[in-house]
Amino acid sequence: MILVLVVVAALGFDFTNGFHDTANAMATSIATGALRPKMAVLLAGVLNLVGAFLSVQVALTVTNAVVKIQSSNGTPKPELLTDGGSALLLIVLAGLIGGIVWNLLTWLLGLPSSSSHALFGGLIGATIAGLGWAGVNWNGDGSKLDGVVGKVLLPALLSPVIAGVVAALGTWLIYKVVVGVATRFTDHGFRWGQIGSASLVSLAHGTNDAQKTMGVITLALIASGDWTDTKSIPFWVKVACALAIGLGTYLGGWRIIRTLGKGLVEITPPQGLAAQSASAAVILASSHLGFALSTTHVATGSILGAGIGTKGAEVRWRVAGRLVAAWLITLPAAGLVGALMWWAGHLVGGLAGAIVIFVVLLAVAGAVYQRSRRDPVDHNNVNAAWAPIASPDEPRLPVSTAS
Amino acid sequence: MHNLGFALDGAWRVLLASLILGAGLPVLFALGIRSLAWGAGGDAEVHESGVTGPTPHRIGTVLGWACFVVVLAGVVLGITFIVASGFGKALSFEHIYPAIVNK
Repeated sequence: MILVLVVVAALGFDFTNGFHDTANAMATSIATGALRPKMAVLLAGVLNLVGAFLSVQVALTVTNAVVKIQSSNGTPKPELLTDGGSALLLIVLAGLIGGIVWNLLTWLLGLPSSSSHALFGGLIGATIAGLGWAGVNWNGDGSKLDGVVGKVLLPALLSPVIAGVVAALGTWLIYKVVVGVATRFTDHGFRWGQIGSASLVSLAHGTNDAQKTMGVITLALIASGDWTDTKSIPFWVKVACALAIGLGTYLGGWRIIRTLGKGLVEITPPQGLAAQSASAAVILASSHLGFALSTTHVATGSILGAGIGTKGAEVRWRVAGRLVAAWLITLPAAGLVGALMWWAGHLVGGLAGAIVIFVVLLAVAGAVYQRSRRDPVDHNNVNAAWAPIASPDEPRLPVSTAS
Repeated sequence: MHNLGFALDGAWRVLLASLILGAGLPVLFALGIRSLAWGAGGDAEVHESGVTGPTPHRIGTVLGWACFVVVLAGVVLGITFIVASGFGKALSFEHIYPAIVNK
């Protein structure tokens, strides 16, 4: 029964992961009008769905990067398996809830924060609460880039800078190259360049991110004794995760698309092409070289870079500052929620505890949805002019984040 | 801080690859567009109003499409990588040209 809640929460996380990250691939194409908003989210959704099915490889050891609840071959730690694996299931459930709550709050505020940081943060918090500080893989074992520092913190510092440098250089060169060509002519060409590079980002996102949720669900199934194979995942898990991330992407996190597409820089087609190509290249190159990073950080860095690389373009550094602040608190904030959820669940105990924290999740999700209705952002007003002062949908940082 | 060393080592590789693919290919794409405009002549290029635009150059069209082919090859390489890694394979650049190998 707790297992059912874990699976539903994992799919819920996958769904928020989808709509949180639509912007990473499509914000620039939507802002420049290369694709109509509805068309863009449909394309991104389908590509995420396809990408999720492409990931045949098992990402069962996804949690090993940050916490120690699995052994290196992917099976859960035996000491967590007494009582039908409920100790592990509670940690995973609390961690997922931490990730979802943070994703929902940042979406409400239109902040593009990293979904993988939210998931890892939630898991870290729940693990600290459940197993103590030693349960967290802080620094790896020194043989490779690993642990919270190596897999989460350092890439988060480096990847936006790399993406920004590439995009800035790309933008600057592209503007140099097309001097003297009529704008009407270039915009048509750049439109296709943008669509192509945005599609690559979407596809890569589907392959990477859906895999994480598949790994978490399979881990839960193994813990409860409903699955034993560590080399493959149940087919229904794959279908469910692919659908969840595809649907989430199609729903489109319009608030976040607006922030990335209009809030940071008024994106022009050449900038869109440069930013999206830089994102695609950085994401693919780093995943080829085993350098874990967040699509969100890369996409934001690229867009900022494209703004810096254009003479006379205005970069709204105040908005950028808010995003960076949100990135900094994502891990601890999701961790705090995860830890609180674990304590609450543990205090009540057993199945009742799991149900209680699940109900809390539903309540928070409902409240966030209600609040979002007050100033809706959708495909109709996603490109409306960005009013820098006193706009109702201008992202603000939450004063208090734990619910 | 062994992790910092690994991270910096990974970072410069990513930066190098991304500069070639992420900035190089779009610039090539832009060159393609410029060639096409040169090839098309007339209103595709900025010229003084009231006079006929520059004459078309057939070679520009050819060069433009040549650029696009190279860019397209880069995109195909990217898709191949995504699909291959999904199936537990990797792209090897050991012999310069890319080949699909087991991870």
